[in-house]
Amino acid sequence: MFILELGCSRRFLSEFLPKGKYMKMDRSINYLWSLLFLMVLAVPLSASAMEMDDCLGCHGDADEVGDELFIDADKFIPTVHAEMGCVTCHESVTDEHPDDGEAVSKSDCLDCHEELGSQYMATEHAEYAVCSDCHDPHQVHGIEAVSGPTMNQQCSQCHEDTDVMDSHAEWLPQASLHIRKLPCITCHTSAEGYEIVLNITQKQKKAEGLKGYRFSSYADLKEISGEKEIQSIIDIDGDNNISLAELRTFNRNPAYKNFHLSGTMVPSEISHDLTTLDNRYDCTFCHASGPGSIQTSFLALPTEDGYYRRMTVEKGAMLDTLYGTPNFYMTGSTRSPVMNIIGLIIICGGFIMPIGHGTLRFLTRKNRKH
Amino acid sequence: MAEEHQNQIYLQPIPVRIWHWLNAFGIITLTVSGAQIRFPDYIHWLGSYKSAIYLHNTAGFVVAISFSLWFFYYTFVARTMANLYVPKVDDFKSGIMRQVKFYFLTYFLGWENPHHPTPDSKFNPMQKSVYLAIMFVLMPLVSLSGIFLTNVDPLRSLIVMIGGLKLLAGLHFLLACCLVAFIPTHVYLATLGRTPTDHIKTMWTGWEDEGEGHTEEPEKSNSTASS
Repeated sequence: MFILELGCSRRFLSEFLPKGKYMKMDRSINYLWSLLFLMVLAVPLSASAMEMDDCLGCHGDADEVGDELFIDADKFIPTVHAEMGCVTCHESVTDEHPDDGEAVSKSDCLDCHEELGSQYMATEHAEYAVCSDCHDPHQVHGIEAVSGPTMNQQCSQCHEDTDVMDSHAEWLPQASLHIRKLPCITCHTSAEGYEIVLNITQKQKKAEGLKGYRFSSYADLKEISGEKEIQSIIDIDGDNNISLAELRTFNRNPAYKNFHLSGTMVPSEISHDLTTLDNRYDCTFCHASGPGSIQTSFLALPTEDGYYRRMTVEKGAMLDTLYGTPNFYMTGSTRSPVMNIIGLIIICGGFIMPIGHGTLRFLTRKNRKH
Repeated sequence: MAEEHQNQIYLQPIPVRIWHWLNAFGIITLTVSGAQIRFPDYIHWLGSYKSAIYLHNTAGFVVAISFSLWFFYYTFVARTMANLYVPKVDDFKSGIMRQVKFYFLTYFLGWENPHHPTPDSKFNPMQKSVYLAIMFVLMPLVSLSGIFLTNVDPLRSLIVMIGGLKLLAGLHFLLACCLVAFIPTHVYLATLGRTPTDHIKTMWTGWEDEGEGHTEEPEKSNSTASS
């Protein structure tokens, strides 16, 4: 409205004032307009920055506000929600808080997350859990920043591990392997597209009584990379893209013999429709979709704050016969074309004797009639 | 009984025949189900992928059990394992060449097979070498890799140590292809008896026709001559 009025005044002045005088005034109006515009922009920015610092001044200290109202600043600040500032969601908070005694308002998640929210509200889950039961709004991150096991922790708050295992074992071959390797949402959402995410895992120390592999943390990898960025362990040329050659170099390096890349499948788009589509009960939904569906893959690198960031991996890495991704194998979909050809040649070799010998046997049959 | 088998020798005892046919049907089932597991986009012979997986695992289990039966029988009951399956020095010196010469030359000229099977020497020198490789290298490796592939999670560290899951799956596939390649050769060679079905009948009934003048003499004299 204000801008519109300014526009009208400028048109009016240009028509009624002499040209020189108008130009001088026009410059000062331009200046005024820019100043006002900057002020309009600057006010909420400075307010929100101040607000967050103020809020965390008390709420970042559990002793002061108690566990329920405590906000872990280290976890909150890297979130997208933090970028928006506290007052965006807690609108009613005043400068006098908490002395004014007013309860602070919370905005509804659906105000922003309308599509995902309404998808979720239509599910049976909504009767048992609200958004914040699974997602702490002060620690929430996108799917690309969270590992599979962390995603599954949300599910296991209600779904006992043993129940999950038993119900899957009733019908799913290799149930334990599927459950350990995959995030629940890979099957239990309506997402149809998938991508492969590789995580760096490392052997646990037997001396500490631990077996198997665990996801490497930022600190673990920093120990190896030293002064360099941790991505340099795999991304040798530092182009933020992992080539097949770089994967092979990593996998063949004897210095990394205690590390291996563990692959998993995650939905390529987020959906909150938690119903299991019928096609998920057909193994060939994943196991036969063929090379095309697993061509998009990423390497998830741990970040200093405990999350992950993704780096694209060259197409075809999942199908490399030996060193590309030596520990990622999905029957039916990661078969190597080279292996297929070698196998075919071997089988054809088995027919040389019957065909070759058989032909000569037929031609010389008269010699054996005695 | 004695009348009935007057000119026959009892070549294949019951445990061996049970093992052989369990193995045969097991390997055919494994081949068909294995093909569907590897190429599910093109092969649907056994219905769903899940049924192919279950059938493959069950057949693998049956073949592994029958392999144990075979090993136990020849090692501890018949005690002829080494004699039957391990080629002797003579076999390498002249036996294999003699048999190769027969299969690829003199057979076409109408000559007799220089080897005449007896219960203690069922296989000719060429068979011995091939079966040694199949029964002591291929079968154990393909079974072991199969066991690893059905227990990926508990054996993860071991799998990573030997070079990874992909190497293991590739090895399982290529070894299986070798076994599959052996089937047509094996079936074809089984038809080279006095009649095309002679050897196959023997594997079913246990009795083999000795034929005229087939004693152990020629075999013995041959080996003496060669040594």
